[in-house]
Amino acid sequence: MGELVQPEKPRSALKIYLDILTTVRDQGRAKPTRILYLANLSHDRLVKYISELLSKGLIEEKAEEENRYYTLTQKGMDFLNEVKKAESFVSAFGITI
Amino acid sequence: MVSSQVLIFVFNLLSGIVALLVSYYAFRFNRLVESSVLRYVSLGFALLGVGLVAEAGISVFLGVNLVELFVVKRIGVLANAAFLVLQLLAYLVFALGYAVGAFGRPKRFNETLPVGSLLVLATPVIRDALPQFYNFALASELLMVLLLAFVVFEGILIYSRTHSKFSLMVLAGFALILGGHIIRFGSIAALSSALYVDGTIVQFFGFLSLLLFLIRSGRIGPT
Repeated sequence: MGELVQPEKPRSALKIYLDILTTVRDQGRAKPTRILYLANLSHDRLVKYISELLSKGLIEEKAEEENRYYTLTQKGMDFLNEVKKAESFVSAFGITI
Repeated sequence: MVSSQVLIFVFNLLSGIVALLVSYYAFRFNRLVESSVLRYVSLGFALLGVGLVAEAGISVFLGVNLVELFVVKRIGVLANAAFLVLQLLAYLVFALGYAVGAFGRPKRFNETLPVGSLLVLATPVIRDALPQFYNFALASELLMVLLLAFVVFEGILIYSRTHSKFSLMVLAGFALILGGHIIRFGSIAALSSALYVDGTIVQFFGFLSLLLFLIRSGRIGPT
Protein backbone atom coordinates (compact mmCIF):
# COMPACT_ATOMS: atom_id res chain seq x y z
CA MET A 1 0.00 0.00 0.00
CA GLY A 2 1.30 3.43 -0.90
CA GLU A 3 2.40 5.79 1.86
CA LEU A 4 0.48 8.97 2.50
CA VAL A 5 2.80 11.86 1.81
CA GLN A 6 2.08 15.27 3.28
CA PRO A 7 2.19 17.83 0.46
CA GLU A 8 5.00 20.33 0.95
CA LYS A 9 3.95 23.87 1.79
CA PRO A 10 4.71 26.40 -0.95
CA ARG A 11 7.60 28.70 -0.10
CA SER A 12 6.69 32.10 1.29
CA ALA A 13 7.91 35.24 -0.50
CA LEU A 14 10.28 35.83 2.43
CA LYS A 15 11.75 32.34 2.04
CA ILE A 16 12.30 32.96 -1.67
CA TYR A 17 14.02 36.28 -0.87
CA LEU A 18 16.16 34.41 1.63
CA ASP A 19 17.08 31.69 -0.90
CA ILE A 20 18.00 34.25 -3.57
CA LEU A 21 20.02 36.45 -1.22
CA THR A 22 21.83 33.44 0.25
CA THR A 23 22.71 32.27 -3.25
CA VAL A 24 23.99 35.71 -4.24
CA ARG A 25 25.99 36.00 -1.01
CA ASP A 26 27.52 32.51 -1.34
CA GLN A 27 28.39 33.04 -5.01
CA GLY A 28 29.85 36.49 -4.47
CA ARG A 29 28.56 37.54 -7.86
CA ALA A 30 25.80 35.39 -9.22
CA LYS A 31 24.57 35.01 -12.75
CA PRO A 32 20.78 34.81 -13.25
CA THR A 33 20.97 31.20 -14.43
CA ARG A 34 22.92 30.25 -11.31
CA ILE A 35 20.31 31.91 -9.06
CA LEU A 36 17.54 30.26 -11.03
CA TYR A 37 19.13 26.86 -10.50
CA LEU A 38 20.25 27.22 -6.86
CA ALA A 39 17.14 29.04 -5.62
CA ASN A 40 14.94 26.61 -7.54
CA LEU A 41 12.84 29.20 -9.38
CA SER A 42 11.10 29.43 -12.72
CA HIS A 43 12.32 32.15 -15.08
CA ASP A 44 9.18 34.27 -14.60
CA ARG A 45 9.43 34.15 -10.82
CA LEU A 46 13.14 34.87 -10.93
CA VAL A 47 12.53 38.03 -12.98
CA LYS A 48 9.78 39.13 -10.59
CA TYR A 49 11.80 38.58 -7.40
CA ILE A 50 15.06 39.96 -8.79
CA SER A 51 13.21 43.09 -9.85
CA GLU A 52 11.78 43.46 -6.32
CA LEU A 53 15.17 42.95 -4.69
CA LEU A 54 16.75 45.50 -7.04
CA SER A 55 14.05 48.08 -6.31
CA LYS A 56 14.54 47.58 -2.56
CA GLY A 57 18.28 48.05 -2.96
CA LEU A 58 19.12 44.63 -1.52
CA ILE A 59 21.10 43.51 -4.57
CA GLU A 60 22.69 45.37 -7.44
CA GLU A 61 23.07 44.44 -11.06
CA LYS A 62 26.43 44.67 -12.79
CA ALA A 63 27.30 44.06 -16.39
CA GLU A 64 30.64 42.78 -17.64
CA GLU A 65 31.02 42.37 -21.39
CA GLU A 66 28.08 40.20 -22.41
CA ASN A 67 27.43 38.90 -18.90
CA ARG A 68 25.03 40.18 -16.29
CA TYR A 69 25.40 39.30 -12.65
CA TYR A 70 24.16 40.31 -9.22
CA THR A 71 25.93 41.19 -5.99
CA LEU A 72 24.68 41.74 -2.49
CA THR A 73 24.59 45.31 -1.18
CA GLN A 74 25.30 46.20 2.46
CA LYS A 75 21.55 46.72 2.90
CA GLY A 76 21.00 43.26 1.45
CA MET A 77 23.57 41.76 3.82
CA ASP A 78 21.86 43.43 6.82
CA PHE A 79 18.46 42.21 5.65
CA LEU A 80 19.80 38.67 5.17
CA ASN A 81 21.25 38.67 8.70
CA GLU A 82 17.96 39.94 10.12
CA VAL A 83 15.97 37.22 8.33
CA LYS A 84 18.43 34.54 9.52
CA LYS A 85 17.99 35.79 13.09
CA ALA A 86 14.22 35.81 12.67
CA GLU A 87 14.34 32.26 11.27
CA SER A 88 16.11 30.85 14.33
CA PHE A 89 13.94 32.87 16.73
CA VAL A 90 10.60 31.84 15.26
CA SER A 91 11.65 28.18 14.88
CA ALA A 92 11.61 27.94 18.69
CA PHE A 93 7.86 28.65 18.59
CA GLY A 94 7.20 26.12 15.85
CA ILE A 95 6.98 28.70 13.05
CA THR A 96 8.74 28.35 9.73
CA ILE A 97 9.31 31.26 7.40
CA MET B 1 20.51 38.05 55.62
CA VAL B 2 18.68 39.20 52.49
CA SER B 3 14.97 39.79 53.07
CA SER B 4 12.36 38.03 50.96
CA GLN B 5 11.21 41.40 49.56
CA VAL B 6 14.66 42.07 48.14
CA LEU B 7 14.83 38.57 46.62
CA ILE B 8 11.35 38.91 45.11
CA PHE B 9 12.21 42.37 43.82
CA VAL B 10 15.49 41.28 42.17
CA PHE B 11 14.23 38.03 40.65
CA ASN B 12 10.97 39.51 39.40
CA LEU B 13 12.65 42.59 37.99
CA LEU B 14 15.22 40.50 36.09
CA SER B 15 12.52 38.08 34.91
CA GLY B 16 10.40 41.03 33.78
CA ILE B 17 13.27 42.51 31.79
CA VAL B 18 13.87 39.18 30.02
CA ALA B 19 10.14 38.91 29.27
CA LEU B 20 10.13 42.41 27.76
CA LEU B 21 13.20 41.55 25.66
CA VAL B 22 11.50 38.44 24.26
CA SER B 23 8.42 40.57 23.56
CA TYR B 24 10.51 43.13 21.70
CA TYR B 25 12.22 40.57 19.47
CA ALA B 26 8.94 38.76 18.76
CA PHE B 27 7.44 42.14 17.75
CA ARG B 28 10.47 43.00 15.63
CA PHE B 29 10.54 39.68 13.79
CA ASN B 30 6.79 39.68 13.35
CA ARG B 31 7.24 42.62 10.99
CA LEU B 32 9.24 40.27 8.78
CA VAL B 33 7.49 36.96 9.26
CA GLU B 34 3.93 38.17 9.95
CA SER B 35 2.72 35.27 12.06
CA SER B 36 -0.27 35.34 14.40
CA VAL B 37 1.65 33.12 16.84
CA LEU B 38 4.44 35.73 17.05
CA ARG B 39 1.88 38.45 17.73
CA TYR B 40 0.53 36.44 20.65
CA VAL B 41 4.07 35.71 21.90
CA SER B 42 4.93 39.40 21.75
CA LEU B 43 1.74 40.51 23.52
CA GLY B 44 1.99 37.71 26.09
CA PHE B 45 5.58 38.50 27.05
CA ALA B 46 4.80 42.22 27.15
CA LEU B 47 1.96 41.62 29.62
CA LEU B 48 4.12 39.21 31.59
CA GLY B 49 7.04 41.64 31.68
CA VAL B 50 4.87 44.50 32.91
CA GLY B 51 3.23 42.16 35.44
CA LEU B 52 6.57 40.98 36.81
CA VAL B 53 8.02 44.47 37.03
CA ALA B 54 4.79 45.56 38.77
CA GLU B 55 5.13 42.70 41.24
CA ALA B 56 8.77 43.65 41.87
CA GLY B 57 7.80 47.27 42.50
CA ILE B 58 4.84 46.38 44.71
CA SER B 59 6.90 44.03 46.90
CA VAL B 60 9.35 46.86 47.61
CA PHE B 61 6.73 49.59 47.87
CA LEU B 62 4.53 47.70 50.32
CA GLY B 63 7.41 45.95 52.02
CA VAL B 64 5.60 42.61 51.81
CA ASN B 65 5.24 39.88 49.22
CA LEU B 66 1.90 38.37 48.18
CA VAL B 67 1.90 35.68 50.88
CA GLU B 68 3.00 38.06 53.63
CA LEU B 69 0.16 40.35 52.58
CA PHE B 70 -2.31 37.74 53.79
CA VAL B 71 -0.35 37.05 56.93
CA VAL B 72 0.11 40.63 58.12
CA LYS B 73 -3.18 41.80 56.57
CA ARG B 74 -1.78 45.02 55.21
CA ILE B 75 -3.46 47.04 52.53
CA GLY B 76 -2.41 46.81 48.92
CA VAL B 77 -4.81 44.19 47.71
CA LEU B 78 -5.66 46.16 44.59
CA ALA B 79 -2.00 46.65 43.71
CA ASN B 80 -1.29 42.95 44.07
CA ALA B 81 -4.40 42.08 42.10
CA ALA B 82 -3.06 44.16 39.22
CA PHE B 83 0.05 42.05 38.66
CA LEU B 84 -1.88 38.82 39.12
CA VAL B 85 -4.34 39.89 36.42
CA LEU B 86 -1.52 40.98 34.09
CA GLN B 87 0.33 37.68 34.49
CA LEU B 88 -2.86 35.70 34.14
CA LEU B 89 -3.67 37.57 30.93
CA ALA B 90 -0.14 36.92 29.68
CA TYR B 91 -0.45 33.15 30.09
CA LEU B 92 -3.91 33.28 28.55
CA VAL B 93 -2.41 35.02 25.51
CA PHE B 94 0.39 32.41 25.27
CA ALA B 95 -2.10 29.58 25.44
CA LEU B 96 -4.26 31.28 22.80
CA GLY B 97 -1.22 31.83 20.60
CA TYR B 98 -0.17 28.21 20.79
CA ALA B 99 -3.76 27.10 20.23
CA VAL B 100 -4.00 29.28 17.13
CA GLY B 101 -0.66 27.95 15.91
CA ALA B 102 -1.57 24.34 16.55
CA PHE B 103 -5.23 24.27 15.58
CA GLY B 104 -5.58 27.20 13.23
CA ARG B 105 -8.12 28.97 15.41
CA PRO B 106 -8.57 29.34 19.16
CA LYS B 107 -11.80 27.34 19.38
CA ARG B 108 -10.23 24.35 21.10
CA PHE B 109 -8.72 26.58 23.73
CA ASN B 110 -12.00 28.34 24.42
CA GLU B 111 -13.48 24.96 25.19
CA THR B 112 -10.83 24.34 27.83
CA LEU B 113 -11.15 27.69 29.58
CA PRO B 114 -14.37 26.98 31.49
CA VAL B 115 -12.81 23.75 32.78
CA GLY B 116 -10.16 25.78 34.61
CA SER B 117 -12.74 28.21 35.89
CA LEU B 118 -15.00 25.39 37.08
CA LEU B 119 -12.08 23.80 38.89
CA VAL B 120 -11.51 27.02 40.79
CA LEU B 121 -15.19 27.47 41.55
CA ALA B 122 -15.32 23.88 42.75
CA THR B 123 -13.33 24.75 45.85
CA PRO B 124 -16.13 26.26 47.94
CA VAL B 125 -14.47 25.31 51.21
CA ILE B 126 -11.45 27.46 50.47
CA ARG B 127 -13.56 30.19 48.91
CA ASP B 128 -15.87 30.54 51.87
CA ALA B 129 -13.27 30.14 54.56
CA LEU B 130 -10.76 32.70 53.34
CA PRO B 131 -10.88 36.37 52.47
CA GLN B 132 -11.94 37.31 48.98
CA PHE B 133 -8.56 38.35 47.69
CA TYR B 134 -6.88 35.25 49.03
CA ASN B 135 -9.35 33.24 47.01
CA PHE B 136 -8.68 35.41 43.96
CA ALA B 137 -4.90 34.96 44.30
CA LEU B 138 -5.27 31.22 44.72
CA ALA B 139 -7.62 30.99 41.75
CA SER B 140 -5.28 33.12 39.63
CA GLU B 141 -2.29 30.91 40.41
CA LEU B 142 -4.30 27.79 39.67
CA LEU B 143 -5.46 29.21 36.34
CA MET B 144 -1.89 30.21 35.51
CA VAL B 145 -0.77 26.64 36.25
CA LEU B 146 -3.47 25.25 33.95
CA LEU B 147 -2.68 27.68 31.14
CA LEU B 148 1.05 27.09 31.49
CA ALA B 149 0.51 23.32 31.47
CA PHE B 150 -1.20 23.76 28.10
CA VAL B 151 1.67 25.95 26.83
CA VAL B 152 4.25 23.40 28.02
CA PHE B 153 2.31 20.60 26.33
CA GLU B 154 2.33 22.57 23.06
CA GLY B 155 6.04 23.22 23.60
CA ILE B 156 6.65 19.48 23.91
CA LEU B 157 4.76 18.89 20.65
CA ILE B 158 6.82 21.58 18.88
CA TYR B 159 10.09 20.15 20.21
CA SER B 160 9.13 16.60 19.25
CA ARG B 161 8.49 17.87 15.72
CA THR B 162 11.51 20.14 15.27
CA HIS B 163 14.16 18.74 17.67
CA SER B 164 15.61 22.24 17.63
CA LYS B 165 17.78 23.38 20.53
CA PHE B 166 15.95 26.72 20.48
CA SER B 167 12.54 25.13 20.94
CA LEU B 168 14.04 23.03 23.76
CA MET B 169 15.25 26.21 25.51
CA VAL B 170 11.83 27.82 25.19
CA LEU B 171 10.20 24.60 26.42
CA ALA B 172 12.60 24.46 29.40
CA GLY B 173 11.80 28.10 30.12
CA PHE B 174 8.04 27.57 30.16
CA ALA B 175 8.40 24.30 32.13
CA LEU B 176 10.42 26.06 34.85
CA ILE B 177 7.95 28.96 34.93
CA LEU B 178 5.20 26.35 35.34
CA GLY B 179 7.18 24.73 38.18
CA GLY B 180 7.55 28.14 39.81
CA HIS B 181 3.82 28.78 39.65
CA ILE B 182 3.01 25.35 41.08
CA ILE B 183 5.27 26.16 44.05
CA ARG B 184 3.72 29.63 44.37
CA PHE B 185 0.25 28.10 44.32
CA GLY B 186 1.37 25.79 47.13
CA SER B 187 2.87 28.71 49.03
CA ILE B 188 -0.38 30.70 48.90
CA ALA B 189 -2.39 27.63 49.94
CA ALA B 190 0.00 26.97 52.84
CA LEU B 191 0.65 30.68 53.58
CA SER B 192 4.38 30.00 53.39
CA SER B 193 6.44 33.06 52.53
CA ALA B 194 9.63 31.01 52.12
CA LEU B 195 7.92 28.73 49.61
CA TYR B 196 6.72 31.81 47.69
CA VAL B 197 10.32 33.01 47.36
CA ASP B 198 11.34 29.49 46.21
CA GLY B 199 8.63 29.61 43.54
CA THR B 200 9.84 33.02 42.37
CA ILE B 201 13.41 31.69 42.12
CA VAL B 202 12.33 28.63 40.10
CA GLN B 203 10.35 30.97 37.81
CA PHE B 204 13.47 33.13 37.46
CA PHE B 205 15.43 30.09 36.23
CA GLY B 206 12.76 29.73 33.56
CA PHE B 207 13.46 33.28 32.42
CA LEU B 208 17.19 32.53 32.51
CA SER B 209 16.52 29.73 30.03
CA LEU B 210 14.65 32.22 27.83
CA LEU B 211 17.56 34.65 28.13
CA LEU B 212 19.93 31.86 27.08
CA PHE B 213 17.65 31.25 24.11
CA LEU B 214 17.83 34.93 23.14
CA ILE B 215 21.62 34.95 23.39
CA ARG B 216 22.17 31.62 21.61
CA SER B 217 19.80 32.42 18.79
CA GLY B 218 21.78 35.58 18.18
CA ARG B 219 19.28 38.13 19.35
CA ILE B 220 21.55 39.82 21.88
CA GLY B 221 25.15 40.80 21.47
CA PRO B 222 27.33 40.43 18.39
CA THR B 223 25.88 38.35 15.58
